[in-house]
Amino acid sequence: MDKLKKAAEYILDSLISSGGDMAQVSVSEGRVEEFNVDAGEFSLIRSVFNSGASMKVIKDMKKGTAAVNQLDKEAVDNAVAECITAAETGVKDEALSIAEKEENEDFVSGALSPDKEKFFDSLLKFIDDVKEQFPEIMLEQVIASYSYGKHVVANTNGVLFTEEDGSYSVSIMYSAHNDTAVTSFNCVVVDYLDPSQDILEAADVRLMLERAVEELKAEPFTGKFTGTAVFSPACLSEFVSTITDSFTGDMSLIEGTSPWKDSLGKKVAHDDFNVSVIPLSDDIVCGERITSDGYKAENFDVIKDGVLESFCLSEYAARKTGLPRAKSSSGCIRVKSGKKSLDEIIKNIENGILVCRFSGGEPAGNGDFSGVAKNSFLIKDGKIAQPLSETMISGNLALMVKCVEGISEESVNYGTCIMPYAAFGGITVSGAN
Amino acid sequence: MNDYMKNILSGEKCHTELRSQTARTRRVSVVAGSLVGNMSSVSKGIGARVYKDGVWGFASKSSTDELSAREVLSSAKENALLLASKRPQSKSPLANAVKAEYSESALFRDVPQKTLVDFAMAVDAYIEKTYPSLSSRYVGFSSGCIEKTLVTSEGTFAYQLFPRTYMIVSMSARTSDGEVVELFDVLGGGEGSFDDHYSEPALLFPQIDSLHEELMKKKEGIFPDAGEALCIIDSSIAGMVAHEAVGHTVEADLVLAGSVAAGALGQQVASPLINLTDFAHTAFGKKAPLPVYVDDEGTLCQDTVIIKDGVLTGYMNNLESALHFGMEPMGNARAYAFSDEPLVRMRNTAIHPGKDKLEDMIASVDKGYYLTRTQNGQADTTGEFMFGITMGYEIINGKLGRALRDTTISGVAFNMLKSVDMLSDTVQWDFAGYCGKKQPMPVSMGGPSIRCKVNIGGR
Repeated sequence: MDKLKKAAEYILDSLISSGGDMAQVSVSEGRVEEFNVDAGEFSLIRSVFNSGASMKVIKDMKKGTAAVNQLDKEAVDNAVAECITAAETGVKDEALSIAEKEENEDFVSGALSPDKEKFFDSLLKFIDDVKEQFPEIMLEQVIASYSYGKHVVANTNGVLFTEEDGSYSVSIMYSAHNDTAVTSFNCVVVDYLDPSQDILEAADVRLMLERAVEELKAEPFTGKFTGTAVFSPACLSEFVSTITDSFTGDMSLIEGTSPWKDSLGKKVAHDDFNVSVIPLSDDIVCGERITSDGYKAENFDVIKDGVLESFCLSEYAARKTGLPRAKSSSGCIRVKSGKKSLDEIIKNIENGILVCRFSGGEPAGNGDFSGVAKNSFLIKDGKIAQPLSETMISGNLALMVKCVEGISEESVNYGTCIMPYAAFGGITVSGAN
Repeated sequence: MNDYMKNILSGEKCHTELRSQTARTRRVSVVAGSLVGNMSSVSKGIGARVYKDGVWGFASKSSTDELSAREVLSSAKENALLLASKRPQSKSPLANAVKAEYSESALFRDVPQKTLVDFAMAVDAYIEKTYPSLSSRYVGFSSGCIEKTLVTSEGTFAYQLFPRTYMIVSMSARTSDGEVVELFDVLGGGEGSFDDHYSEPALLFPQIDSLHEELMKKKEGIFPDAGEALCIIDSSIAGMVAHEAVGHTVEADLVLAGSVAAGALGQQVASPLINLTDFAHTAFGKKAPLPVYVDDEGTLCQDTVIIKDGVLTGYMNNLESALHFGMEPMGNARAYAFSDEPLVRMRNTAIHPGKDKLEDMIASVDKGYYLTRTQNGQADTTGEFMFGITMGYEIINGKLGRALRDTTISGVAFNMLKSVDMLSDTVQWDFAGYCGKKQPMPVSMGGPSIRCKVNIGGR
């Protein structure tokens, strides 16, 4: 870490001695050890050794940024010169700043060295388990990786944070096949700390593989109805991330196009809808300790009991809009579980769809969305009736979160986020005819 | 650098690649007059990959000196040996890896950051002055170059530059009921440096005016009726059909994973009007938008003919899959960063033009949609594709009607291609996109306007 601290100090000194008024830098080193499985067979082991520095300078209230992935003097000096030049050619902006000084701290979390043997054995077991227990499943691609990193964040206000962490992650892309059918692919990503993790039992991996086998009986949906969509935990995670980005993120608030721009402290969702960002939770693998702006990360609520408690703004966007900055820049989101089981929620649905993956276009500024409901099942008269193919859904994100019809008591922890099943009304479901 | 890279690999018995890369990027982002992004970056490093008993070992480091090259080669060998010892595969050596040579003579001309900032600010100023009632505006510039040097154990030496520059303009407006509609466009740009494509900001103003005109129509737009519809997919977005609907399903790694194209070789999968090729560096008699001459396994690039007269004729391969399928490798193995291994990727994928005129195609539709702008897309193992539509018009009795709001189209690739009954006589390319597949990859895609049946999302 001393080497990174010295590099950070050198970069800050260089930026200031080159004419900068204030500066901030992040310097990092790390490694990735990765096992790849393609079409069900081991294909590659990959080792990546990386380093880098990203820097920001403000000169005459104009900003320049530069990044370089080498830490030798020549590379760093060139990056500093680029950064200063960028600032000199910039545009004056009173909202520019660097992080204010807090109490400096060193953060350490996770598994700091890999156990490659145990990790490889767990992956081997998973591949063999799937072949034996799920002969219809094709593991299209599995990427199992161990990542280790250390980094220093420092600025000319005296901020000096260090962070060191390591964790394991597995990304499983799969589909089911038999003599006559092939299903849509789906993907589960889980982060964890135990190299011996039984991957088949991690998060909802087993359930998703079981569902994929069911999907071999999928049929195209015909007709059209407006009803309830139940989103699986992984699918809900994508929708909630889209909502937080689109309605509470930098761009839509700076542009003033967010439908929630005047809704801080006001009701924007159903009472049962609670969204928190929890980078410090023990349930999250490593999470975030230092925000991308250089502040100590904290947990915070975005939506509590349906009320918008916070936007997810960077410090620049916060100063630009006069709104408070977010206490974490991570995507470690938890949607609070409800009190009913998934079965109870489905029992009350007359016409609906269980959506396990959504493949759609970017939602419009007002939240209108449409796309294909992949790996999905028709819900009819309180029961999961039929796996579906070629089925589209559409709705509006802002209206959808007001029409919550149930949040399940079951939730799934993916290591980076924790999500239940959630049922939303007012979704249009349509097929080819 | 070239000499030590060649020396390090001399005598290697297994197929081995050593690739050194430098990527330079400049980005500028202007949001409503504020310069929110003003960044330059340099990423440099070396990666090695070794094939042993049917499996691969790879390693990379963010430095390019000889010691680092020897270190990554050693780590890559260790990784290959470790995997080969634990899970050897009964595959043949890569006998189809042969020597290739290519050396780019042109130089990348970097541009000062100030040039990009001044140009973007001038464009933003024009939009602000001309269209003050917009609810937001964005101007973004990306200019950069990836420089690759590759040597392989077969003696391949390739030095290539992949420069690309483009500008994106986005604007949004509020409808009468307060909702926000948005449109974006790529203005100019392509393969090459900034000054290959841009001189005076004013030359782009007519395109900005057209974008604004369309946005005003979209403000009054309607939602399509959800369900199957007869559509004219404009040539400006037809590349999405080539890339998402078909291209991914015929990437050999996905074929091996069981895509719908497995077993369809030699079969009629599309209308006889359809010819589809993944071009290497020259397309329809001109330089392709993003030319590739040697891939990252050292294969000299050739065109991959995928569909000929509606019949599926080939897959896109790397060395390994080409051996498996008994096909000739055409140079589709590409890696994005120095720290990435080559994957089967598209290059310049396009549907060939037909003989119809766009006006006649529109006139031929009694009830349907003319789709003119897109944003993103996704493929599937099943061949079921989707892509987002950000601009279009209804067609009623052969005439364009009201504009459309944002929607999505989907379909099953081969079913949709069989429904094609008209193709226009002009091709347009999209060169500003990235394809996502473990790694990002700059790709281009193109095609003529297409009359076909697809599912359209709506209300």
